[in-house]
Amino acid sequence: MIQILAVGYNAPIMEVVNRLIRNHGNWNGTIAQTKQEALARLSAGTYDVVLLCAGVTNEDEADFRQFMEAVLPDAKLVRHFGGGSGLLESEIRNAVDNKRTF
Amino acid sequence: MAQYILHKAESRGHDHLEWLDSRKTFSFGDYYNPKRMGFGALRVLNDDVLAAGKGFGAHPHDNMEIISIPLEGSLQHEDNVGNKEMVTAGQVQVMSTGSGLFHSEYNYSPSLPARFLQIWVYPEALNTDPQYTRMELPSALRKDQLYEFIRPGNDGSATTIRKDTWFSIGTFGKGPSIPYPIHQNGNGVYAFVINGSFEIDGRELHARDGLGVWEAEAITFRSLSDGAELLLMEVPMNI
Repeated sequence: MIQILAVGYNAPIMEVVNRLIRNHGNWNGTIAQTKQEALARLSAGTYDVVLLCAGVTNEDEADFRQFMEAVLPDAKLVRHFGGGSGLLESEIRNAVDNKRTF
Repeated sequence: MAQYILHKAESRGHDHLEWLDSRKTFSFGDYYNPKRMGFGALRVLNDDVLAAGKGFGAHPHDNMEIISIPLEGSLQHEDNVGNKEMVTAGQVQVMSTGSGLFHSEYNYSPSLPARFLQIWVYPEALNTDPQYTRMELPSALRKDQLYEFIRPGNDGSATTIRKDTWFSIGTFGKGPSIPYPIHQNGNGVYAFVINGSFEIDGRELHARDGLGVWEAEAITFRSLSDGAELLLMEVPMNI
């Protein structure tokens, strides 16, 4: 199972992302809807992919990247574009294929 | 020296559902090909057929520029930012989804399929205010010439999705070569043949073939058949 932490600040969209991840047979997902919650989960858990969704700024992304280099250097940080199911599968699979590109 | 990548129509991903038949030039949905992850800022080019009366129920999008071009029939659009209208062949719909919106798109016809191209381009900035635009593609202005319907600036005659993207469409009779100068250094152009056949920089393309060209200053195309329709999407190669 691929362990995914999905971070996003738009609650209705994150509800959909959460459902998409949970319904996928090869993925196990955790959702964080604030930056603080995401940093706490990164400190406590192990993830293969950290997925940045709606609302996450470039500044937040830089902070997550820096934090992950220290606590989760093997995880892959990727942006989820488009919000729904369209790109999710290829973003996750591409991230796993190319894992570790800090 | 110009670089080329040719995507033949039959090489595209294909989903066939009861309500949707979708051909995907680039990875999308369950179709994943690591060599087909887009062309520069152009990320999605889906060639969709919606069954009569069927469609995409309410679903979210964010941080993507989504251009829908109906080729046959009409789409009934509704979103949660106040837009409810029909988009029909001869028009184009542009959604800058930005910080997020929900929308639905249904085939308006109870008896005929609707065909449309669904195109996604990476945005230049994240989390902007969502915007929706519908515009005409006047047939007289795209006959034997390219009609530019997306470009930088906002003079009212075209729409803008990001400052460095140009989309053009035209229907051509069999005829002479026509140059298309690339507007901006660092951009590439993805040519998609909607109908008929074209020769583009010496390469022959047929209906639904796509050709990406980059590290070039211009391309030259020539229609090989009457009524041939070409869509050119000029996008930055660096996202």
